[in-house]
Amino acid sequence: MRSPVAGVASLLLLFIVLILGYSSVFTVAQTEQVLLVRLGEPIRVVTEPGLNFKAPFIDTVISIDKRILDLENPSQEVIAADSRRLVVDAFARYKIKNALRFYQSIGSIQAANIQLTTLLNASLRRVLGEATLTQIVRDDRDALMVKIREQLDKEADGYGIQVVDVRIRRADLPEANSQAVYQRMQTERQRQAAEFRAQGNQKGQETRAKADREATVIVADANSTAEQVRGAGDAERNRLFADAYGKDPDFFAFYRSMTAYENSLKSNDTRFLLRPDSDFFRFFGSSSGKFGGAAAAPKQ
Amino acid sequence: MPWKNQGGGPWGSGPKGPWGSGPQSVGPRPPDLEDLLRRGQDKIQQILPGGHFSGMGIALILIGALAIWGLSGFFRVQSEELGVVLRFGKHVRTVQPGLNYHLPYPIETVLLPKALRVSTISIGMTLIDDPARRGRTMRDVPEESLMLTGDENIVDVDFTVLWRIKPDGVGNYLFNIQNPEGTVKAVAESAMREVIGRSEIQPILTGARTLTESNVQELMQKTLDYYGSGVQITQVQMQKVDPPAQVIDAFRDVQAAQADAQRAQNEAQTYANRVVPEARGRASQILQVAEGYKEQAVAEAKGQSARFEKVYDEYRKAPDVTRQRIYLETMERILGAAEKLVYDGGSSGGQSIVPYLPLNELTPRRPPQSTAGQPQQGGNR
Repeated sequence: MRSPVAGVASLLLLFIVLILGYSSVFTVAQTEQVLLVRLGEPIRVVTEPGLNFKAPFIDTVISIDKRILDLENPSQEVIAADSRRLVVDAFARYKIKNALRFYQSIGSIQAANIQLTTLLNASLRRVLGEATLTQIVRDDRDALMVKIREQLDKEADGYGIQVVDVRIRRADLPEANSQAVYQRMQTERQRQAAEFRAQGNQKGQETRAKADREATVIVADANSTAEQVRGAGDAERNRLFADAYGKDPDFFAFYRSMTAYENSLKSNDTRFLLRPDSDFFRFFGSSSGKFGGAAAAPKQ
Repeated sequence: MPWKNQGGGPWGSGPKGPWGSGPQSVGPRPPDLEDLLRRGQDKIQQILPGGHFSGMGIALILIGALAIWGLSGFFRVQSEELGVVLRFGKHVRTVQPGLNYHLPYPIETVLLPKALRVSTISIGMTLIDDPARRGRTMRDVPEESLMLTGDENIVDVDFTVLWRIKPDGVGNYLFNIQNPEGTVKAVAESAMREVIGRSEIQPILTGARTLTESNVQELMQKTLDYYGSGVQITQVQMQKVDPPAQVIDAFRDVQAAQADAQRAQNEAQTYANRVVPEARGRASQILQVAEGYKEQAVAEAKGQSARFEKVYDEYRKAPDVTRQRIYLETMERILGAAEKLVYDGGSSGGQSIVPYLPLNELTPRRPPQSTAGQPQQGGNR
């Protein structure tokens, strides 16, 4: 029977074919690019994901990340052009665009991160050192970030790295300067508050004074009108009296005197010291009325 | 083959029950497979009790294994997930929630990101589990939330970013970017600081909240699109926008001062509203009094004139008699009420007794109840 030998041989053959087949294919993941190295010599880079073929055993597959990678930079103090200090915390995003150059020059992502951090810090200091604090914080942040990115990109090109973006995450004042800012903010607000209160009081006083003035004017106007009315009344009264009494001034003098005597002397506490020879007592001594014209002397 | 029909049973009709209710399970179920395998083996053993037809048996086993392998490609996508099918690592298609099939491993594999869920990132605060309250509480992170404004003030901003994966961007999300969540957070911080850095403190604190939010959202979206991240920012919400804790009292005092100013003005207006009408009232009173005086004066004058004219009319008829009568009647009334002392002091001089008149006894004959003030008043009238 040759069947056992043939069986073993065919099994062995199958096994070899399987091994060969397995070692001559490789897959490239969607997130990777692959550098194919034949006995230490790079042959090609595969960026398209999927199933690929290689020479078995002699070709080695080196996968390199194709995604946008993180670079977090610890915050550091930077001196701006106007010699003010800033704590800047930036981050970069980069990707490996030339796998061969990357592999040859730097090898791993960890090493790349270390290298890029150094470059980023240098670039950050260089670019921000030429700008004022106001430019960094407010006016030119975008342009400065682009400038840093361009510098970093140029420097990282040698490592096969493309810097996608550099962004300043935080650009804050150091703690000591922050305290100064707080104090300034505080005094500014205090000034504002005082101003508001003073303005309020001023307006209030204006309103009060205006009201007082208005009230005084109203009363004065009223008094003026009232005097005129009284005057008119007095005038009318005078006219009426003049009309009436003008008819006989002599009788008026007598009649009015009588009224006046009565009104002024009628009260009980008036005492008279009278002489019998007054006109009133004309008939007191004689029925013919011999006295005449003497005055009674009233005493109060 | 009978076992195949039976084997198809749990896959074809069974799945909806257990899979609809199973919330967390993903992809092919190993227990189900083993179960299936076991049942398949049982069937084979039933069919091949003696092992007589070994060639056919091996073929059957092979076919069975192939079928099981083929069936392992079924997978389920949960309602908040999308299925991303990779063929030898290459992204070939994206499938919607539900039951799906991919070619079995190692040809195709599937990734199941929660692509339809909206994620939240909080910046300036962290959510920490609080076992005491059985919930989560906010803790402030000042180094994230304190920001420099364009006029070199500092504000304390906490905000939340809601984001999701773009409907057509799940591939980008999974494959373009190393750390999508970290990137969204970093970009959010950077964008917020950039926007805050461009504006002044007062509008940030008061009116420009919505504007700030939309500016940040726009800037974030632009940056993330530039990265090809497949991330969509659905909303940026500013949770807290305050002056820093060190100066918040001063800021509150400004508001208090505004209120004080308003109060002072209101009080003054109240005073004005009281004083002016009062003055009007007094003016009206003064005028009325004056009118009253006028009318009284005129009326009195009219009355007295009329009385005088009446008397005068009578008087003209008999002047002497009337004159005498009036005189005597008046004297009668005057002297009738008063105390009188009639003294005949001689025909002409009368001075003989005057020096002896006890004036001190005469004068104080006032009503005894009169006090010191009343005589003066009486005298003035």
